[in-house]
Amino acid sequence: MRSNRLLPLLAAGALVLSACGGGESVDTGGGGGGGGGGGDNVLVAAVAAQPDQFDPHVTTAYPSFQVLENVYDTLVVPNPEDLTMEPSLATEWETSEDGLTWTFTLRDGVTFHDGSEFDSADVVYSYRRIIDEELSNAYRFANVTAVEAPDPQTVVLRLSQPTPNLLERIGSFKGMAILPDGAADQVDLTTEAVGTGPFRLESSDASSTVLTAYEDHWGGAPSVDGVEFRYITEPAAALTALQNGEVQWTDNIPPQQIESLEGDDSIELQTTPSVDYWYMSMNYERPPFDNRDVRRAISFAVDRAAVAEAAWFGAAQPNQTAIPQDSFFYSDYAPFDRDPDQARQLLAQAGVQTPLTMGLMVTDEFPETVTAAQVVASQLEEVGITVEIETLDFATWLDRQGQGDFDAFLLGWLGNLDPAAYYQEQHVTGGSNNYQGYSNPEVDALLQQGATATDDAARKQAYDQAAQLIVDDVSYLYLYNPDVVQAWAPGLAGYQIRADKAINFETVELP
Amino acid sequence: MTGYLLRRTGQSVVVLAGVSVIVFALVHLVPGDPVRLALGTRFDQETYDALRARAGLDQPLAEQFLGWSGRALTGDLGVSFRSGETVTSLIAERLPATLTLAFASILVALLIAVPLGTLSALHPRSVVDRVATVLSQIGISVPDFWMAIVLILVFAGTLGWLPSGGYVPLTEDPVGWLERLVMPALVVGVVSGSVITRFVRSSVLEARGADHVRTAQAKGLPSRHVFGWHVLRNALLPLVTVTGVQLAYLLSGVVVVEIVFAWPGLGQLALQAVQARDYPVLQGAILLFALVFLVINLVVDLLYTAIDPRIRR
Repeated sequence: MRSNRLLPLLAAGALVLSACGGGESVDTGGGGGGGGGGGDNVLVAAVAAQPDQFDPHVTTAYPSFQVLENVYDTLVVPNPEDLTMEPSLATEWETSEDGLTWTFTLRDGVTFHDGSEFDSADVVYSYRRIIDEELSNAYRFANVTAVEAPDPQTVVLRLSQPTPNLLERIGSFKGMAILPDGAADQVDLTTEAVGTGPFRLESSDASSTVLTAYEDHWGGAPSVDGVEFRYITEPAAALTALQNGEVQWTDNIPPQQIESLEGDDSIELQTTPSVDYWYMSMNYERPPFDNRDVRRAISFAVDRAAVAEAAWFGAAQPNQTAIPQDSFFYSDYAPFDRDPDQARQLLAQAGVQTPLTMGLMVTDEFPETVTAAQVVASQLEEVGITVEIETLDFATWLDRQGQGDFDAFLLGWLGNLDPAAYYQEQHVTGGSNNYQGYSNPEVDALLQQGATATDDAARKQAYDQAAQLIVDDVSYLYLYNPDVVQAWAPGLAGYQIRADKAINFETVELP
Repeated sequence: MTGYLLRRTGQSVVVLAGVSVIVFALVHLVPGDPVRLALGTRFDQETYDALRARAGLDQPLAEQFLGWSGRALTGDLGVSFRSGETVTSLIAERLPATLTLAFASILVALLIAVPLGTLSALHPRSVVDRVATVLSQIGISVPDFWMAIVLILVFAGTLGWLPSGGYVPLTEDPVGWLERLVMPALVVGVVSGSVITRFVRSSVLEARGADHVRTAQAKGLPSRHVFGWHVLRNALLPLVTVTGVQLAYLLSGVVVVEIVFAWPGLGQLALQAVQARDYPVLQGAILLFALVFLVINLVVDLLYTAIDPRIRR
């Protein structure tokens, strides 16, 4: 029960995790009107949690980005089909021969919600704000040495090293939104928004957030007059609200009901593989987990399909690497078929006395880690490893992770678009997210190659090789990629479910 | 009476000051780093240091406490780390929903408890008594979230009579307000009512057995008079106490029911503050809850003196 109730809050925690994630879905709580929602042509969407705030450069919370996705724009934006970057506020761009200078041409005739014209000064202001004030996404500009505006239609970014994923850095989600020049001094960005997106932020309270259509949007006015994001944390309640017509869209579906809902005519349910992955990681500082054979034994002992089934009731794809199958960068490397005999043999070879006890740290912030840990524990028991599951609240969990106080933990990385986001900081020696303490000079070299090569084929080759080593060494024990699961009222048109969980209602039409 | 009031208010201020010290210390002692929670897992060290400094968390704890308590005295409870809004506005935004649900639930609870408890006490060990005991046992033991979900599935889902949850202010839409209040108030009221029923039963039973009641009966007073004047009035004291405690508890938020019914109350705010280690909100909320308990205790004590004049001294 506890996990059920905490689900929405967990989503908020996930935001934390997915600083680089796509914009996700938002909920608005009540506030407006009676049972049927906002008005005749207003879409009511049930989201799992309240946005923490609306400053796109400060928040890291998914519920906030569910809303902000519809309010702000970025220079470039992931294509809904394959998540490659396409024009948005920038119409075209070119890269210098040495890869160190990127020149963007800005879109003409774009206005902010306050009526002011968009130009290059706004881009410089927005990017400088993130960099100079050290805001949440400052790390995305690590290679940027200058942001220049030679004329109102042009922005130039100068880099310290070639950065093939620069477009992903500045466009993968609305955390890199363009604000009007000086916005932070004129409005309270935590509660108000001045964007260029298809909807204006009208109001927000403890039960819902209300958006209204921006008629002068550069891409044309949206089809609906507005959107109300209602916060309904309990998935069973959100589903009931959808089924009885109180809301027309939700992403808060009880996982155990996904299968039975697929044949249900009262709602339209869709799933698509997400760009998230969940994994287990062991501490290289804690013997015997510093021993490659021990880690490989554990990797052979885990049945990923069973873990995915238990955590997501089939709405997840087992994967031995990080990148999901639909991606250009997917690697089909899968050397670890479940093999308890080989696991026992490797443990013996490593000189490990069984039963071996392993602490496994999970958090009720993400209930699927608790479920997954139980399955992993029963599978490891078979090869003589006793797993002691420690279920912590997320704050304590992060503390212990930061201090290196764990044998092993389970968690996920959400909203990854570029292979660098999947692999770089998690596995490079001394990487900021390399909590397990992995170090392999060969992997370091390959990751550097992948991060700077300007040709996609060369990048894919580098990351494929790096992924093989990471999997073989079991720096991460990859488990699965969950599906994005969303449902809406039958007859709702113009909405597209996306792998990055960005929720965009610009073209949605009510039944 | 005025002296009594002043003395009690003075005591409350001292208690509140003590609570604020304990709350501040406890909140900061709990493991977990609000800055890391706010930034997630992808950030660089400069960003971390900048946010820590902006939140004032790089100051010594004693300095932070002095600053916070000084501002709190002027009614400024600080700014939420998480939302950037003032703590007072976050609390004020959720207060109406919490007040509505707490008072409606207490009403439901009393409507259940007083008749049921009294009937049981008047006919101990009868069928009525046994049924009442079983019912209140069920009310206490059935998990509230389960009851809430069943109500939603039946009344919002299958029957479609009520909205599945949410909240609208009474002033905006009185019908919508009532429709949304029914299910949460029922769930919370049944649980509280089950607790109160047992108190009513035992206190009425005790009052019935008291010497003065036997004397009144022996004098041949009409039983209606005996019950109304001698039994009920004496049984009222424990009822007021337990109702006060229940109300104070409900005013500090009913997290589970709020979450299931998407009811924007203080319980959810406090829970989110705990999870985000949002110290200012957490401190503000706990201080408010302490204040609520103190005020309600004071009111209960004043009611005592009205019901039983002997206590006034």
